[in-house]
Amino acid sequence: MDVPGNGFRARFNRRYAGAPLPWMLPVIVVIGLFYLYPVFDVIRLSFTDATLIGNEHTYTFASIIHAFGSPDLAGILLTTLIFVGGSIVGQQLLGLMIALIVIRGEKRRLFGTTILRTTALVAWVVPGIAGGIVWQMLFSEAPFGGLNSLLRMIHLHPVEWLSDPNIAPWSVVISNVWRGTAFSMVVMYAGLKSIDPTLYEAAEVDGASATQRLRFITLPQLRTVILVNMILITIQTMNTFDSIISLTGGGPGRATEVISLYTFNIVFRNYDLSGGVSSRC
Amino acid sequence: MNSRAISRLGDVFSYVFMMMMFVFFAGPLFWLLSLALRTKREIYLGVSRLIPKYPTIDNFISVLTNNFFPTYLWNGLLLAVLSGVGVLIVALPAAYAFSRFNFRGKSAWMMGLLAFQMISPLVIMVPLYRYFSWLGLLDTHFGAIMVYIALGVPLAAWLLKGTVDSIPRSLDEAAMIDGCSRFAVFWRIVLPLSGPGVASVFIITVIAGWSQFLVPFLLLTKTKLMPIGVGIFQFQGMQNDSSMQLLAAACLISVVPAIIAFLLLQRMILGAMTAGAVKG
Repeated sequence: MDVPGNGFRARFNRRYAGAPLPWMLPVIVVIGLFYLYPVFDVIRLSFTDATLIGNEHTYTFASIIHAFGSPDLAGILLTTLIFVGGSIVGQQLLGLMIALIVIRGEKRRLFGTTILRTTALVAWVVPGIAGGIVWQMLFSEAPFGGLNSLLRMIHLHPVEWLSDPNIAPWSVVISNVWRGTAFSMVVMYAGLKSIDPTLYEAAEVDGASATQRLRFITLPQLRTVILVNMILITIQTMNTFDSIISLTGGGPGRATEVISLYTFNIVFRNYDLSGGVSSRC
Repeated sequence: MNSRAISRLGDVFSYVFMMMMFVFFAGPLFWLLSLALRTKREIYLGVSRLIPKYPTIDNFISVLTNNFFPTYLWNGLLLAVLSGVGVLIVALPAAYAFSRFNFRGKSAWMMGLLAFQMISPLVIMVPLYRYFSWLGLLDTHFGAIMVYIALGVPLAAWLLKGTVDSIPRSLDEAAMIDGCSRFAVFWRIVLPLSGPGVASVFIITVIAGWSQFLVPFLLLTKTKLMPIGVGIFQFQGMQNDSSMQLLAAACLISVVPAIIAFLLLQRMILGAMTAGAVKG
């Protein structure tokens, strides 16, 4: 190995390897060059626009008011709220319940905890577009639509999962909960495992019931985990549009057009970027 | 006796809940498989033919001999694997620095990386497109891969830092006392010992790359360059109600590689993820 000496390699090592910067350099270069530069460009441009010409400011202000006043936006924000809110509640609740049951099952050696955990995680690795297609095949009102043909078989009324503007947003939420729950499950599972077991032992000695243990130990101990998880899910869900685009395309009408899909549509319609429009036809 | 009865009842509830959840998560994929194995005629029979009477693999053959589909699959694999390799090359040294050096602003750097991860490409679509057009990297796999890498590095660096943290420092120190340089320590000691972490970060990145839709949709326009994430979307646009079995087969083909990759290393991936989660 390298003996300290005066060779080029030894000198190079002595001078640079002991400092953190050379180790960080690849990250800085790749992220800076291929991603961060355009981000800063946006910020710079938005500043120059606002300061170069005095009128620009009023124009921008007016256009913001215009955007907020546009009748589309209110609906889109409401849809986004349903989508994000429904996903947060659904994913956290299911994720917590599965994590609790898995831990209970592991303790009592119940059969199938690993199978359940794996199945949920498999749904999680399904790509967004594919996930949308999968749920389209379940929700569809055509003969191949899984849920409606099931309802018909047991002589119930079929539901207009994707064509009723009041139901469609909830169908989209269900499909997103299907894909996203595993993440919450993993986070909650790790959180539950890290709770000090002596707390439960003490509660047991004091004669606390299972519900009391859940309410006064588990949930308060999980507070940070739930909060962090909520932030992460919110960001993820706000950026999700691929599974919606292949499930409903934003329809019926614009009933499932969330803000990310709205942005996507605006860019690809107005700028005609990357031939997105031409290649989709 | 009484508490035992309660436990029994709890077990019953657990099983019922587990069954329901299993149906919720596995059902959609079973339905996809069921449709993909059907003939055109059986598609119209709905749930009554959950297990097709005349199962066929013609749909898969038809999809795989399609003019575009094999290209989509190949491009998807190429982009995902190369970005996985790239993420490791970029993130490993940084993870080593985060774990072994104490320098000013270290936690700021790490938080900065996390914050960076929250800038979705959705927000900067237009400038990103213009910038890549200016660089002349539109319609090149290289450009798309570099964006994949930039997007994958933050999480990878965090997870790998956890892995390197778990290797005892005394090993490094012993080697350095014996005259090993830092690069040699990294190459000969840290790297070989972080196998499981490296493997799971690689798989996580590959799966994320395989599912990418927005970046390739934005930066690649030529059909022969498109990866599967975009390809399946284009394919959906070409189908109609009477060719659902083909779409189901195509969708299944696009999903299965990700699932297999995940199942192979499930334990390691969960280990890496939860280790990071617990330490915060």
